[in-house]
Amino acid sequence: MRKTFLLIVAALAVTAVVGATAGARPTATPGVTAKSILLEGTYPLSGPASGYAPIPVGMGAYFSYVNAKGGVNGRKINWHYEDDGYNPANTVQITHKFVEQDHAFALVGGLGTEPQLAVRQYLNDNKVPQLFVATGATTFDRDYVQYPWTIGWQPDYEAEGSIYGKYVVANMPNAKIGILYQNDSYGNDYLRGFKAGLRSHQSQIITAQPYDLSATTPPAVQMAKIKASGADTLVLFATPTPTIQAYVIGTKLGYKPANVITNSVSATDAFLTIAEKSGSDIVEGSLSVEYTLDPANPIYNKLAGMKLYRSIMAKYAPKANANDGLNLYGVAKAWNVVQLLTKLGKNPTRAGLMAAARKMTFSPGKKNANPFLLQGVSTFTKGSFQYPITQVKLVKYVNHVFQPQGKLFAGRGALR
Amino acid sequence: MQTFFQTLTTGLSDGSIYGSLALALVLIYKATEVINFAQGEMAMFTTYIAWALMGHGSTFEWWAFFATLGIAFVGGAALQQTVIRPLERASVLTAVMATIALLVILNGLAAWIWSPQLQFFPSPFPTSSWVIGGVHISKQDAGTFGVVMACVLILWLFFRFTKLGLAMRAGALNPGAARLMGVRASWLLALGWGFAAALGAVSGMMVAPTVFLTPNMMQAVLIYAFAAAILGGLESPVGAIAGGLSLGVLLNMLGEYVHPVTTELRLPVALGILLVVLLVKPAGLFGRVVVRRV
Amino acid sequence: MKRLGNPIAFGVLVLAVIAAPFIFSNYRTYQLAFVGLYLVALLGLDILTGFTGQISLGHGAFMGIGAYTTTILVVDHGVRDIWTIPLGGVVAGIIGLAFGIPATRFAGPYLALATFAIPLAFIGILKRYPDFTGGNVGKNLPQLHSQLGWHTNPSIWFYVVCWVVALVMLPLAFVIVRGRFGRAMRSVRDSEIAAAANGVSTAGVKTLAFGISAFFCGVAGSLYAIGITYVNPDTFPIDLSILLLVGIVLGGAGSLYGMLFGALFVEFIRISWGPALLNLFSRVHHIDTHAPGSGLVVYGVVLLLVLYAAPAGAAGLARGLAGRPAFLRRKEDPSLSDPGLV
Repeated sequence: MRKTFLLIVAALAVTAVVGATAGARPTATPGVTAKSILLEGTYPLSGPASGYAPIPVGMGAYFSYVNAKGGVNGRKINWHYEDDGYNPANTVQITHKFVEQDHAFALVGGLGTEPQLAVRQYLNDNKVPQLFVATGATTFDRDYVQYPWTIGWQPDYEAEGSIYGKYVVANMPNAKIGILYQNDSYGNDYLRGFKAGLRSHQSQIITAQPYDLSATTPPAVQMAKIKASGADTLVLFATPTPTIQAYVIGTKLGYKPANVITNSVSATDAFLTIAEKSGSDIVEGSLSVEYTLDPANPIYNKLAGMKLYRSIMAKYAPKANANDGLNLYGVAKAWNVVQLLTKLGKNPTRAGLMAAARKMTFSPGKKNANPFLLQGVSTFTKGSFQYPITQVKLVKYVNHVFQPQGKLFAGRGALR
Repeated sequence: MQTFFQTLTTGLSDGSIYGSLALALVLIYKATEVINFAQGEMAMFTTYIAWALMGHGSTFEWWAFFATLGIAFVGGAALQQTVIRPLERASVLTAVMATIALLVILNGLAAWIWSPQLQFFPSPFPTSSWVIGGVHISKQDAGTFGVVMACVLILWLFFRFTKLGLAMRAGALNPGAARLMGVRASWLLALGWGFAAALGAVSGMMVAPTVFLTPNMMQAVLIYAFAAAILGGLESPVGAIAGGLSLGVLLNMLGEYVHPVTTELRLPVALGILLVVLLVKPAGLFGRVVVRRV
Repeated sequence: MKRLGNPIAFGVLVLAVIAAPFIFSNYRTYQLAFVGLYLVALLGLDILTGFTGQISLGHGAFMGIGAYTTTILVVDHGVRDIWTIPLGGVVAGIIGLAFGIPATRFAGPYLALATFAIPLAFIGILKRYPDFTGGNVGKNLPQLHSQLGWHTNPSIWFYVVCWVVALVMLPLAFVIVRGRFGRAMRSVRDSEIAAAANGVSTAGVKTLAFGISAFFCGVAGSLYAIGITYVNPDTFPIDLSILLLVGIVLGGAGSLYGMLFGALFVEFIRISWGPALLNLFSRVHHIDTHAPGSGLVVYGVVLLLVLYAAPAGAAGLARGLAGRPAFLRRKEDPSLSDPGLV
């Protein structure tokens, strides 16, 4: 009996301690004080998706750089992010904290399709910007009417898939295509886009093998079936680990496709180098697309954007591996965020931020393009066109790095 | 027929890795009745140590392999003495929780020290294959199988023919009697953890070239090892290896031949088959049913 | 009344539950609502593990079944969310019962494996039948909003729903463990052979305990779906099942009020305490609070330290403190025994 009392009293005490930390007082515009603007985001810093952890580091480095130069219209950017472990249940609870306890001005760059789907309605109901989510799921750009407070940033998976389709039609009219794809919205978005790009040439796909991310065994059976089908062009719409495994297994099976196309998420120099070191002999010549500068490729080192990137990383994130493109992805996204905030002037509001995001023209034509993206790539939204980045360049993996090939492609809309 | 043999060899290679980790689980279980949930993360952590010893390089070094086994052995024994021993007198469930805490800590620590980024880990064997009658037998698969089996054989010889090995078996069988005979039980348990950690390191270093080095690389392997140990009967070292091999072959055969078993359901179906086996033989293929007295 | 536990203690708890939303911010109230639903889940698992001695590594999946029952009824059939809460429990309970029948043939680690298969199979099925479950993309539920003619903050509404349910389930758990069936459960835990010799159907008791625990977890899962407003396979990982087990061990397996602690730990350790502790450390040593994995290290170390401090959980600690005056010691103190093997 006394035990029960002790338990209850102690539980109350614990609860009181837990609850004691009060949140920040809301100001006229949440998250904005005379001296600061609070931006927050959720990222997987633990668990299987924690490989993306450099992205918020890169963003933070750029914000620190801007703050050191005096901030945005006299206000410093206060950048805060937390670990959701890629579990949407955590994303939801942390997002509630950002909105209700911390009173963030905007949520920026939240990572992952499913975690961001989980909080989209909540953020829209509360009129909190869900700015530049870190996923290429098409819905975040396409469904802007239903979700006016949500916008993506990077080229969407569907558009990227369609570029590969168009490329095949133009350059490989006789290719026999075998596809390995992840059996979720990610893989299916790519596959749908690819088929749309092929249009009347869809019969060139002779096999499409799905695999499941949680199936933990390498996609060996799928690769054997693709080899057996006689496909001479291998298309990989997979996440990094299965992609590398597919390359290696292909070689082990003695499979030598003439061409390999790999989606941009997995086609980084680092990943393909691992595939090569692991013994794959079909990596050389792999095709993919890029839209940011590639810090692993020395040809970009003389560009002003790359020089700025390296100096920012050296000063504000000295421990990070600056050759990792994920840092650059973060820096590039933060650049766009800062541009939007600057446009809001002295009295930023959440509605003003979204209005600015819905009408962006950062393009080479106006000489204000994002310096961390490939030359010629614009960040453009207007009216019913709400896909910020759509232009990409085809790249080919030669001698351990991806080399750009030819001119820009537009995944959606026109080239600008 | 070619496909059959190809699936079989891949299955045996996968299975030897599950088997070695299963054997590690059995070593600790036999001595303490605790399933060590941290076994996979211990293997992962030691594989990172091997990677560091090899200078993050692209060639496999056998000296680093053996040095890692030594470090794993000492580390495993030290973990038992520092983390697990204070809970000696708590319930088994509490001890299991401590291994779960250890799992979480090691996973976090590896990401913290070496970053969670995917890394390349070299294999001691070439990627090429022998082609025998149209069947591609990967040299890496065959080598993995060979290394694991050699380690198991050495361990078996140790337990069978050395005085220390006999003392450890006695300690596991009857701790009270062993203590009366002058065997210090606590140190025997530490040795058991040491051997388990070293065996885990072998499975980690052998699997890393195919699943690549990340802090989460052993979690799936641990599930399979757990299942293999249970299938073999948990008390039986031979059973653990046999369980691992049959599970490896089963998983690959299911993927190859049973079409409704799409990729999402392969693992649950394999576990389902395993449970049916257990319904027929409740103590596993190699275990004995022990009737406990009141 | 004694069978329902101590009425005064229960009264104190009720008062505290009523007071909390007036004291804490809306966000803390939202978190405390999750404490309520975790309490329900832990009570269920405690009935199975703490009182009947059967380990389960899969009860997160029963939360998932409750959550998907609610989601599918609300999203696809337009049922009001709060009415689906008992249904979530019933569906999970029936599946739990069905699973309990073969599971009773397994003991100790074999049962652990059998139950481990539940979340794996559950996730596999969710992905295999996307037309029904939403697959990987999952399903969004309606946002939290106060109902039944009451206008209040959504977090407070959710808190009230969770704690009304929890305060119904807590006495229910007492009725179960204090009654005849409760005695049968404990006799199975302490010695199956002795229980069988005394005419207890061990298989029947274990199966029923499985069903009851699944029912509790199903109810908790329904609440979880309502609160998170989203379900997909990633929201019910294997970690959730293990976290529930951690919760009952820290609360003290075999104690019902101890589960309050387990529930507080489960809700706060990753989202609030871990980051707070890291911030504290970072002021002393210059560590990077956002370093990948650092949160996990803190979580693991805290768990380990709590295990050392209270190997029999919060209830064991309280028992130790309360046990000293001899006249207060109770005769039928639920034994601090080893709930089965793993």
